[in-house]
Amino acid sequence: MNARARARRLVWLRRGVQAASLALFVTLLLAARPPAAGEPSGWLGLYFRIDPLVLIGNWLGGHPLAGLALLALATVVLTVLLGRVFCGWLCPLGALHNALSWLGARRPARRRATDGFSRWQRAKYWLLAALLVMALGGAHWGGVFDPQSLLYRSLVTGLLPALQWAVEASSMGIYQADPHLGPLHLTALSEPLYRFWRDRVFAGQELVFAGGALILFVFVGLLLLNLLRPRFWCRYLCPLGALLGACAGRTALRLVPTGQCGNCQRCLLSCPAAAQPEKPGQWLPEECFGCWNCVASCGEDALDFRWQPLWRRPVAARVDLGRRALVGAGLAGLGALLLFKLPPMARAKTFNPELIRPPGALAEPDFLARCVQCGLCMKACPTGALQPAFDQAGLAGLWTPVLIPRLGYCEHGCALCGQVCPTGAIAPLALTEKQALRIGLATLDTTRCLPYAYGRECIVCEEHCPVPTKAIYFVETEVQLRGGERRVLKQPRVDAALCTGCGICETKCPFADRAAIRVTSANESRHPANQPLLPGALPLGGGNSLGADPYGG
Amino acid sequence: MSPCSRREFLKGLAAGSALALRPLPLLAADEAPRALAIARWQGEALGEANMAAAAGRLTERAMAALGGMGRFVGKGDRIWIKPNIGWNRSPAQAATTHPDVVGMLVRLSLEAGAKSVRVGDHPCQEPRQTYATSGIAAAVAAAGGEMVTLDPARCRRVALGGARLKEWEVFPEILEADLVINVPVLKHHGLSRTTACMKNYMGVVGGNRSAWHQELAACLVDITAFMKPRLCVMDATRVLLRHGPQGGSLEDVAVKGVVAAGADTIALDALGAELLGLVPAEQETVRAGAAAGLGSMDYRALAGAEIAVS
Repeated sequence: MNARARARRLVWLRRGVQAASLALFVTLLLAARPPAAGEPSGWLGLYFRIDPLVLIGNWLGGHPLAGLALLALATVVLTVLLGRVFCGWLCPLGALHNALSWLGARRPARRRATDGFSRWQRAKYWLLAALLVMALGGAHWGGVFDPQSLLYRSLVTGLLPALQWAVEASSMGIYQADPHLGPLHLTALSEPLYRFWRDRVFAGQELVFAGGALILFVFVGLLLLNLLRPRFWCRYLCPLGALLGACAGRTALRLVPTGQCGNCQRCLLSCPAAAQPEKPGQWLPEECFGCWNCVASCGEDALDFRWQPLWRRPVAARVDLGRRALVGAGLAGLGALLLFKLPPMARAKTFNPELIRPPGALAEPDFLARCVQCGLCMKACPTGALQPAFDQAGLAGLWTPVLIPRLGYCEHGCALCGQVCPTGAIAPLALTEKQALRIGLATLDTTRCLPYAYGRECIVCEEHCPVPTKAIYFVETEVQLRGGERRVLKQPRVDAALCTGCGICETKCPFADRAAIRVTSANESRHPANQPLLPGALPLGGGNSLGADPYGG
Repeated sequence: MSPCSRREFLKGLAAGSALALRPLPLLAADEAPRALAIARWQGEALGEANMAAAAGRLTERAMAALGGMGRFVGKGDRIWIKPNIGWNRSPAQAATTHPDVVGMLVRLSLEAGAKSVRVGDHPCQEPRQTYATSGIAAAVAAAGGEMVTLDPARCRRVALGGARLKEWEVFPEILEADLVINVPVLKHHGLSRTTACMKNYMGVVGGNRSAWHQELAACLVDITAFMKPRLCVMDATRVLLRHGPQGGSLEDVAVKGVVAAGADTIALDALGAELLGLVPAEQETVRAGAAAGLGSMDYRALAGAEIAVS
């Protein structure tokens, strides 16, 4: 079998692996939901664990990761040996870009002129340099650009909710219109289909994400760039690709000339990476995805991948990163770092009341140094409470998880977010440990609360409070109504020593616009400076024997 | 174990296989079906080990005393069982109906010839979690019923024709059933003090139902009248004495070992109030229900003697 035939087989194998990897990625994403029993699977964060950019970003931030994350080192070893096969074969975002590049392919004549190596491909190395400098200073923005995070976040907060809406809206339309032909109802078909999607695919609450549109916009924009150049993101922007490229310079599997090149440039047209396969001896190992397209496209058998010892100098060109540009990029990273550290909040001078972090989240600086904005916690959260932050945590905390109690609450019997977090930004806690933590404190707005402001009964917040001894309790108060009539009403109060800040009171408050009881980040366990209460404060009246309880004793 | 003769052994075996092959004659031939049945556990003290079996047995005997499930379920009927699955709490925490009460009702309905038995509630917390944690999903699956997650978006606004509520969003799946079996758990409630049959109907409605708390008794009367209760099975095997309706602490739970069944929600709720140590006539919901003619507070007149179960 000649090189070309073998390469063609390898290309098909690669496409299969890419499709499987993307399918695995999506499967793991859909599986990130409350498990029927026990703790969630450790496989959910697989793609973040094999991602060296996540590893190095966390390591530079001063947080050596758990043993499993060392899988990322396997990716590095793989790259040193075989080049950027991760990009070409395994990366699910790469697979998606690959498919879209194929869809968006233009006429060869134009591509011949534009698709060769561009010096702008160095931009990804500069971006990487800037991100690493930032990570060193504790401002971790790697996750904003990391391809695994980017894809996961975009699917969770953008694509999946859009899909869910489409499924729900269409089946709802059929359900309400109930079109039928005699005994044949269309709902007999649409309803089981709808329930399959609801219970098997989405398997949870209605997904709604504040700011999901922006994330989707960025994602779609990056996909559309494939129309400009094949795998635009991978070529020019991806910092993980740059990191792997930096490891691939002396790869053992090298593209070498094996015959007389006819200069037909088919390899150039087939190369998604613009790694200069068309220039014998000037192949760029840092850029090459190891996709084998060039070998498969060559009619002359003029090139092939061959094993060469790692220590032998490659007979190939190198990407000249440009020393000044690299230094400039590092300085830009430093600048961004300073920008992130300027606001008072970044120095714990102020605390944003709206910045309610998931239970187990590390103190803010440590949290920001670890979180890779992947959105796994947001997918796993059973109530949809965790949302991608826009400005709540400052620029540094873009798309990190923040709990918005109007959208969902922290379920008392759930500790999933920490258990699935791939980097430990949210500590993995047992349920009892998590239940002992406070993420905020409820505040009553007596100018809105029905029994205070409007003379009506309402016990919804107290009823929903999940703390067994009730962090919300009643004080029976006689109030005078409009006509002079007197009435005893149960007015809720919050026991700050018991309130965990879960936010269910705010979620369920009958006021749909602005709740009459609201949770802020005050009293959060992770920040002693944000706690108004004397540490170790006891519940009022001592727990169970509280108040005028008709069934006491 | 004490030694027994062969004759005794064979007698025991015969009796045992007769028991196994044929259901116990739960209702004596000369006994008329009751309007209200109160089954009370008289066996050994109830604990973790025997609560599940007792819950099922109490339910079975209470239903038998009503004349059997066949009185309520016709051949080919579609049954909806509405337990209280409102909270993400375990069976021992007593905030949700005991799974074995529900499981037994599923079984009895299917045995009585029901075409389908669907079970569902509109919980206060995420249904996928409450269904699992309450143990009801597993019990229903084991008994051959179907757990249904209700979609608030699919509620239909229907005319309730009540004195207070003219119309409200109700789940169509429940309305379409031939029989709705209301299966509340008896417990303390922060506002109405007790919650049982009437309050359990809050799970058949969607919309902004939390606003009902502002005039709870009037709203519960309207929904109860609208639902036209034909069969309620009240689970008081273990009850929440404090911090209801959600509870969470085993310290607040007391074992009562009672399951009561009947059509009269007011009588059952009155019984429930007494089981919690309250005076039924002081219960606003019970009083309002009786005043609206939904039933009688005098549960004793309906029930007759309690059924001792062991």
